[in-house]
Formats: sequence, structure tokens, C-alpha cells
Amino acid sequence: MDKKSHPYIPTLLGQLNEGAISRRDFLRRSTLLGMSATAAYAMAGMVDPSTSAKAENLPKGGNLRIGMRCMEIKDPHLADFAEKSNVVRQVCEYLTITDRNNITHPYLLEKWDVSDDLKTWTLHIRKDVKWRKGRSLTADDVIWNLKRVCDPKVGSSMLGLFTGYLVEEFATGEKDDKGNPKKSSRLWSEKAIEKVDDHTVRLNTSSPQIAVAEHLFHYPMFILDPEENGSFGAGANGTGPFEIVEYTVGKGAKYKARTDYWGDGPYVDTFEFVDLGDSPGAGIAAMASKQVDGLSEADAVQINSMKSFPHVAVYKVETTQTIVARMHPDVDQFKDKRVRQAMRHAIDRDKVIQTVLLGAGTPAEDHHVAPSHPEYAALPKYGRDIDKAKKLLADAGFPDGFEYDMVTRPDPIWELNTAQALAEQFKDIGIKVNIKSLPSAQYWEVWTDAPFSLTAWGHRPLAIMTLGLAYRSNAAWNESHFSNAEFDTLLTQAEGILDPKERSKVMAKIETIMQDEGPIVQPFWRIFSTVMDKKVKGFDLHPSQYIFAHNYAVAMA
Amino acid sequence: MAIFLAKRFTMMLLTMIAASFLVFAVCEFTPGSVARKSLGPFATQEVDLLTRKLKANDPLLVRYGRWAGVLLGVIPDPLQDPDTGLNFKDSRGAQYFGNFGYSTLNKLPVNDVIWDRLGNTAILGGLAFLLIVPLSIIFGIFSGLKEGGVLDRVLSIVSITFTSIPEFASGVFLVTLFVILWPVLPGTSPLDTGSGWSIPSQLVLPVAVLVIYDFGYVARMIRVSMIGVMEKPYIRTAVLKGMTTRQVVLGHALRNAMIAPFTVLLLQINFLISGVVVTELVFAYPGFGRLLLDASLFGDIATIEAATLITVAIAVVTQFIGDIGYMLLDPRIRLR
Repeated sequence: MDKKSHPYIPTLLGQLNEGAISRRDFLRRSTLLGMSATAAYAMAGMVDPSTSAKAENLPKGGNLRIGMRCMEIKDPHLADFAEKSNVVRQVCEYLTITDRNNITHPYLLEKWDVSDDLKTWTLHIRKDVKWRKGRSLTADDVIWNLKRVCDPKVGSSMLGLFTGYLVEEFATGEKDDKGNPKKSSRLWSEKAIEKVDDHTVRLNTSSPQIAVAEHLFHYPMFILDPEENGSFGAGANGTGPFEIVEYTVGKGAKYKARTDYWGDGPYVDTFEFVDLGDSPGAGIAAMASKQVDGLSEADAVQINSMKSFPHVAVYKVETTQTIVARMHPDVDQFKDKRVRQAMRHAIDRDKVIQTVLLGAGTPAEDHHVAPSHPEYAALPKYGRDIDKAKKLLADAGFPDGFEYDMVTRPDPIWELNTAQALAEQFKDIGIKVNIKSLPSAQYWEVWTDAPFSLTAWGHRPLAIMTLGLAYRSNAAWNESHFSNAEFDTLLTQAEGILDPKERSKVMAKIETIMQDEGPIVQPFWRIFSTVMDKKVKGFDLHPSQYIFAHNYAVAMA
Repeated sequence: MAIFLAKRFTMMLLTMIAASFLVFAVCEFTPGSVARKSLGPFATQEVDLLTRKLKANDPLLVRYGRWAGVLLGVIPDPLQDPDTGLNFKDSRGAQYFGNFGYSTLNKLPVNDVIWDRLGNTAILGGLAFLLIVPLSIIFGIFSGLKEGGVLDRVLSIVSITFTSIPEFASGVFLVTLFVILWPVLPGTSPLDTGSGWSIPSQLVLPVAVLVIYDFGYVARMIRVSMIGVMEKPYIRTAVLKGMTTRQVVLGHALRNAMIAPFTVLLLQINFLISGVVVTELVFAYPGFGRLLLDASLFGDIATIEAATLITVAIAVVTQFIGDIGYMLLDPRIRLR
């Protein structure tokens, strides 16, 4: 065994041999600790799919067009939808990459090392990476990016992920309009992000954290050129495989392949995103007439109408992608936790899955931790219970229910359909939900501020990531305005526990808090699907909805 | 003649001013202030600050004056003042004639967005108009020649059927037919050639949808007018004199039969510019209708105001042309 590997690896290997953990769990955890995926696969007695299926014989050249909404990109570090990050991703890159099997590999990093106490992370940056404009990638570039996302003025969602181990909250001493002390965030120490040499960066964390490598793949965590200071558009610099030559909101993006890219690919000469608007029929029509070679996403209904096209291949992947109806606890109607509980008891999950997803999903349990997450703890199941829900509502002071507006968006269509299915079921306990469907562009501007809305959440390999992003008190993406000190403490605690069995014990407490007083109604986990023309080679559907155009090739007719 | 034109021209200007005031007032009276709409519906403290900076609490007339001033290039656009912190930039500067302000939806000056879109819709509408005019005239004349005849019945059924199919239905129908079952045409019309489909091929289906929807209606108008004319004594005289049907129609009936439908035809221009929303949505066509729809849903006031003003201008100009045409067709009007 590699002498330098983390001391916990033998324990993991023991657990694997005893059958206490699955091979997939072993792979996931040993790679998190800095072991290379190839070595981990070998140790688990498996063949690394990324080396065996490496497509050296992919055809070269040609143009690839993928249909996707193209929205305004203010700053890549603020990217808050997979679509936005897909536009940037072809140009700028991450330090790590989590593959479709949820195994994390180095990307712009050569490797990383973790100390025994999980508090010192040493990141070794590849030495062969060059910016498109000629310079080499250095530790200074990486540090600038890491520090920038930790700056509360920038407002990146990375802040929520980094809080608790790299970033701490402090009282500024000022008071806001209501007289509450204002809080802000800062790095917990001068040495939190430390330069070791030109190609090595060290993260010194205040508490143990296991998910550092996965956090570095969260979609705003692009490594940008410090000289461009967060701006992005045609001609933007990057270390990635493509140069972006054109970007028009609502129309599309055009890219040209780099010839001096450090990694594999790109195989195509040019790549394009085409914006097909909010009408789901337009995607079908564009696929039918081969105006695009694929869509970034196609829902069950669209797939149904496209599966008869001979040139179309359907891709599906199970994800921890979901949708939550979340309520601001600072609004009168939702202030009492019994109201929120009643909303949870009002839902018939199987029915929602059948109507909205045509069955392509599994029921969720309102705590945003998926059964496929390694730290999932099974709590007692509960189903629809109208009488209990009505009683809870009455106890909370709404015996006749109430009426409220729910903000949502029409594209993708399954989101609006979910809103309608939920509204129909809330009606049975006397809550009349008026659906306010905003155009996507407008929805994206208000999604963290609307008092009651329905938001789709992307796939994350670890539950602690989503919880840190969405429900930690200071998180930029805390759209539900949920704030619970006990929850925050437990979450920080969970983030430091390597053993998923131990972590799931803490997780059970977190899940219970979410079910008891949490802000969300969560109907299902979604199976993600899309379509590609059969001539597109090397395509692999990533559960995070990420598009990596440099891996794809086009077979010439 | 000159007096008639001058009168008409003054009327046109007055209509524009009245319409611009109405558009402004209606947009201003919709819930939420300009500051709120610039910052998004749920921004908090900044709204009051910006409201003060933009003097958005002034009386309506003062604000209208300021808006018109910006539009005419008399004063600079207050939204572009760096003090507002909105970071709105216009390469033409903050003060020029035709300054429609800043689109909060596209994060660009309205002038950078709207003209391309209008041009695209003009192409779509223009082509449709070129087909609607002869088609509806031919249909109208032939079915109006002999009311209740077999030809009239057949043409009437065709016109009525086509006109009653909504655009989204005919759009889906045509896509199924010519894109999926018999793939000879592209299913969307983003107006770029990257997919290998030529621009003309991308225009066929949206134009067809518009023509199918619209021509039957105009044909019905022409038919009624034609029937009316064909019953007139002078037509009977012409027929009794032994003139051929062709001579009667072209020489005597057509000119009179076209007077009323002429206005209807010109009205179609307005419809083709602002009523193409559905067609543009179905075919992902980057046109004026979709821009107006997005802007209205988004609450992008500057774009709505600009688009509405342009629509009004087009309506007023077509009306002006209509008046002149009317005058040429009907000499009695010139004497009024």
C-alpha cells in the first residue's frame, strides 16, 4: 500500500472486506482522502471505468450544438443555476471533479493530501496548465479565487459551504434597521488559505471537514483569471478547453476549441449552446429537424414524444436532484411550525411522482437527505394524513386554512406541473395556493427572496453539501430563511465525521429537526434525463447536469 | 389636398403624443415603482434610496415630461447616472434623440435590443403580408362573384376553417407534418445557419402559420364587399352591355370593392407586427412579439414603453397611408 496514503484507509479497507461498507462507499471515501481513483479502484478489486473506457478513438473535428437556456452571467463565482455554470465551464475549470459515480478526482490539481485530523488540506496544483492567454496557472491564482468567494461582498454561494471550517461569522458591531446586530463573515484565520510554494496551497481549517474536495467542484468554484476580476463574456480568459467567442443572453454561446489544452480533448472544432426559449415544444422540434445535436435537459414528457425518433438516444441517471416548496418562517402564515408540518402531511408523494414525472422519481422525506447519500439515516416513514394536517393547522390558528401566493417558473415544465400538483393537494387541508409563475429570467432574480416558492435543487454527492448550501443560517442560497443554531452546530459536527455510520447518527438528528420544524415540503427525488443525437460520441450524462463539451465528439455522416 | 394631408399629419402627431402619455401612465400605474422594478421585486433598503435619487415620487406629469425629455434627447437618462449604482451603460451616451432607456430584462440599452427584433418580425410579417394580400383578394373576389354558388361555398369553408385554427395548433400541426413525418423543414427558426438549415427554409413554417391564420379573415371581408358591389345597378348595366366577367370585375367592380377591405388589409400590418407572439414562441423565433411578451411578463418597463410606442407609430403611419389610399380610391373623400 502507498505509504503516504491517509491512515484511515486501512480501516476503510477492513470495513470493505467485512462487508460493512459497499465498494462504492469505499471508493468514494478513499478518494475523498486523497487516494487516486485508479489506486482506489485497484484496491477494491475493480477496474477504473475512466481508464478502461477511455475513448482514444473518438472522431475529431466538426461542430456540436446543444439546446439550453442562456441567461445573464454577472459573475461566474455567483453562478446559481447549472445552465449558467455550463456556459462558463467550457472556458474555466475546477480544482477537482466529481464523476457520475460520485467519485471525486483531481482536476486542475495533481492530487491532494489530508492530515489525520482532517484539518489540513494540501492542494498540489498541476504544473502543466496554461491560461489561454499564455501564463501558467499558479498558486497565487488559486488563492485569489478561494479568497474571493469567501468575501461576503462578492456574495458567492461558496461562502455557505466554507462556513464552519474556513469562514466564521462575526458581529460587526453595527445594528440594522430593526436593531438586530449585523453579522458578517471572514476567514477564520490569516493562515486559513496559505501559499506553500508556486504550485501548492494549504487549507488550514478550524474544524475537521471531509468534503473539501467535493466543495471545490461546487459549480461557482471556477478558477478565474484574477486580472478579469469576476467579469465573464466573449474572449474571457480561462484554463479550459474552449475559447468563448460569442455570448448573447436569450440567444446562445459559441466556442472555439483550444489547440494547446492541457487535458484530453476537445474533439470538436467548435461548440455551441442554442437558446430555444421557454416553450418545451421548441426543443422537440429542434431535435426532430436536427437543428441541435442534443438538449441539456429533456423531461419525461419531452422524452416520450422523442423516443420514436430514430436518430435520438435517451440518457437517464438517478440523482439527488429534487424540488422543494419552501416557506419563510418569518412570514405570519408560516411562523408556526405546525403549519409547516401540516403542509408536509398534506402531500401524497406517489401521486405527485406519477402525475408530474410519469413515475421517474422516488418519494422524499422533507429533510433533503437522499437514501443514496452515504450519510442518510432512515427515519420512521409517514404518509399523507389529512386529518392530522387539519388539526395541526387548526392548532396553529388557521382552522379554515388560508390563501397564499407561490412563486415558480414555467421552464422546465415539470417544475410548474409540480406546483400545480402540490397546490391541488394543499387545497384538501384548506390552504389555497395561487401559483405565480414568473418567466425563468425573473424567477432567477427573486428566488432567494420570495416568501413562498418552489425551487429545484441540483444533485450533490453528499447531503452535508446541500444542507450547508441551503439551510445554514448565513448561506447565500438560504432561500428558506431557515435559521436554527442547533442545526448549524450539528451540521458542522457532521462535516467533520469521516465514518458515514457515525455521521448518519448526527444526520438522524438533523433530519428530525428538518421534519419537525424545517421549512420545506419535498415531494420527490428526480431521475434526470436528456437526449442526444446518436452521432454524439463520448457523452455521459452527469447527475449534476454538467456539460463537459471537451469530452464529446461528433461522428461524421 | 395639401390641407387634407396637413390635417392628417397633425392628427398623427397628436395621436402619438396622447398614446405616449397613456402608455407611460399605464406602465407607471402598474403595481410597484420604477425603482422597485429596476432592483427586482424583493430588494429591500435600496428601493427607497433609488426612489429618492430618481425623483420617482414627483407628480405623474412631471415624470412624463422627464421621460419624454429623455426620449427626445433633451435631458440625460437619470438611470444611467453612476450615482444610482445600477451600472447601466449605453455606448451612445446618456443623452440622444430616441433614447428609450435601459432594458432591465436584457441588461442592455433598449435600442440595442429592439431594432434587431423588430427587423426580424418585419421580415416574418412582410413575407406573410405579401402572401396574404393576393391570396385573400383572389379568394374574396371568386367567392363574392356569385354568392351561394359552389365556388363560394368551397372557398368560404376553406377560409373559415383556416381562420378558426389557432396559431399554436396550426404550428404544432405543421411541425408534425413537415418536420417529423416528412422531414423537409426545420422545426425551429432561431435565424442562424449553424444547424445547416438556410434562413429561407426557417421562415417557411412561421410564415405559413401566419398566412393560414390571417388570409381567410381578410378574404371574408373582401367577399362581403364584392357581393355588395356586384349587386349595384352599374354592374348590371355593364353585364347587360355584353362585357365579359373579366372586364366587369377588373374594370368596374374591383376598385369599388376594395375601398372598405383596404383598411382591413392595412390593419393586418399592425397584427403582423404585434400579434405574432404565439407564432414566435412556438418556433423560438427571435422577434418583436416575443420581446414584448418577455418584457411584459418581466416588468421591463422601458422595453414595454418603447415597444408599445413603436407599435403605435406603426399603427398611426399605416392609418395615414390608409387615408391616402382611401382618397385615391374614392374621389369623394378628397372633396370633404
